[in-house]
Amino acid sequence: MHEFILFGILATTYLMVIAKRVPALIRSFRYQSFFIFLVTLVAGFTEKQAALYFIALLILVLKVFIIPLALEWIANKINVDENLGLFVNAQLSLAIALVLTYGSFIFSRSLGFAKDYGLVAVTVAFSVIFIGAFLMISRMKAFSQVAGLLVMENGIFIFASFVSGGMPFFVEIAVFLDVLVSVIIMGLFVYRINKLFTHIDVNKLSRLRG
Amino acid sequence: MTVIIILMIPVLLAAAAMLVRKQKITGILNSLGYLIVLFESVLLLKKVLASGAIRLWGDFIYIDALSAFFIFVISVVVFASALYSVGYIKKDIERGVISDKKSKVYYTLFNLFCFSMFLVPAVNNLGMLWVAIEMTTLISAFLVGFYNTKESVEAAWKYIIICSVGIIFALLGTILFSYAFSISGLTKSLNWSDMAPVAHILNKDILKVAFVFILVGYGTKAGLAPMHTWLPDAHSQAVAPISALLSGVLLKTAIYAILRFGIIIIKGVGFAYFANLMMFFGVVSLVISCGFILVQKDLKRLLAYSSIEHIGIIAIGFGLYTPLAIAGALLHIFNHAVVKSLMFFGAGNIVSAYRKHNMNTIRGVIRALPFTGVILLIGCFALTGFPPFSVFISEILIIIAAFVHGSYLIAALLLLLLGVIFGAFIYNFGKMLFGNLPKGMAVTGEPLSGKIAFLFLLSLICALAIVLPFIKKDLLCLAQRLLQG
Repeated sequence: MHEFILFGILATTYLMVIAKRVPALIRSFRYQSFFIFLVTLVAGFTEKQAALYFIALLILVLKVFIIPLALEWIANKINVDENLGLFVNAQLSLAIALVLTYGSFIFSRSLGFAKDYGLVAVTVAFSVIFIGAFLMISRMKAFSQVAGLLVMENGIFIFASFVSGGMPFFVEIAVFLDVLVSVIIMGLFVYRINKLFTHIDVNKLSRLRG
Repeated sequence: MTVIIILMIPVLLAAAAMLVRKQKITGILNSLGYLIVLFESVLLLKKVLASGAIRLWGDFIYIDALSAFFIFVISVVVFASALYSVGYIKKDIERGVISDKKSKVYYTLFNLFCFSMFLVPAVNNLGMLWVAIEMTTLISAFLVGFYNTKESVEAAWKYIIICSVGIIFALLGTILFSYAFSISGLTKSLNWSDMAPVAHILNKDILKVAFVFILVGYGTKAGLAPMHTWLPDAHSQAVAPISALLSGVLLKTAIYAILRFGIIIIKGVGFAYFANLMMFFGVVSLVISCGFILVQKDLKRLLAYSSIEHIGIIAIGFGLYTPLAIAGALLHIFNHAVVKSLMFFGAGNIVSAYRKHNMNTIRGVIRALPFTGVILLIGCFALTGFPPFSVFISEILIIIAAFVHGSYLIAALLLLLLGVIFGAFIYNFGKMLFGNLPKGMAVTGEPLSGKIAFLFLLSLICALAIVLPFIKKDLLCLAQRLLQG
């Protein structure tokens, strides 16, 4: 069951890599968060911890509803061209994502996660982190930076919940709030950039050099 | 108790900034508040050095000599910055750059930013440490983009994105540390005070990988090259008192985080691993910043690159890893904080009087702003490590340590690059400070609060030579404790 959900997370990550437009990117992020919600819920069943149910609920509320809705709201509000502006086309991006996944597999094996489903979980976690970083640098629109960061954060979450049975509860909550606040702040800056520059193409932000 | 006062005052001041109507009163309240914080931090440092670590609130707060030292450094710069803000913000309001309402936003953010910085060295839990450092980024991003110009918003965007990515890697490193701790069969905990004593039984390979993530992650925030690309933009676009805080102490809080993990690494893996990595990043930072300093035209960017240089020197100090070098590095953390905030205040006065950043077009500062001009002249010599000022003492300590340690190449490189940077600074500042007053420029008075801030920092720069013999023992003792973890 675990493995199935984990491969689901990987699939949604690939969906984000081939997304060419902002709404598709946000939608895929929502799917990914939903799978992470499922994984936490299942972990809650098997380990019988109330804290895990609570965290699963937080994921559902924050990452499946609030954050994607906030991003969609900003996207509608600034009303710019919906194309993400791919520096690397979808096919090549997918190929790179594949290489990153394999690299994560090698990396997690060398870290010594070869036992039971740990290897799958850690491989998926690292792939999601690296693919998130790749999304940030290979897309033109400021939205993809925000989304990439969220994807990286999701990867960290998978990693944390599998390798050490999650972080201490209050740290988990603090990290959640932090992510929420940072998305709101980044959204504000996307809004400001659009107002000042009349576009949100980060590759054209080049006034400061040297 | 002192810790609670230090943490509560910024929160109370943030609330006061929202409620008090007159911004002048807020400014004075701020300065007084941070004066109390400064006194308390001195008391705290004394107490910790005399009687060992303090634990509060069920181990949530853990203050040992290292944290107390960083709290002291932060409180010095925050106090100076609060003083300087009074005059600076008043001038901005008079010139119509910002509204009265926006000054309230400024003071609120300023205090929240200070709170988050004080929180970094105070917390025990490494996860909370991460949260506190991320908080500093999120709050200060608004202060970087405060003027809402194209340049400042661009700088704030780069700052928030690059630092957030960096810090995500730091979170990954933190989780790996906690993983190494949990597979060793001990109870689940992220508290530093639980992890450090058992570091020697943790899995070495995982610790090594984890520390690379930590160093890249927090190193981004600390401005270590090659992850420094956000730094010159953010530091040059921020409001002047905030530039001082960013360069003076925010970078140091990230260094603090690296040191905390470094201590675990030193015990768990051995000091050579830690020292080599620090040395590598230190040398790269020094070399890269030197190149950019030579070709720099923008005054505040010049100072920002100089911060990267000094962070490099600090990293080299820790990389040498002898008691003398560590004492030098700790001293350098303090000295750089003081001198760099002085320079940013001076640069802020110049920019607000001349309305431009380009050093080639600024002339006759000593005539236009006599007080700032003279202070900047002294500060320029102090920053580049000219005797008898404090930076000279800490730099020479690190260079001597390198010679004693047998790292002749490092010592020679330091001397060479510091010489080159000295030349570049004297050339640029000489042109700016002297020369004729531009036509149509009136000589204006400077606000009293700014002058007090300058004199306070200047006295700290000069006083070190007198105080050093008295604190020498404490400093070496602190360095020795760091060596042992």
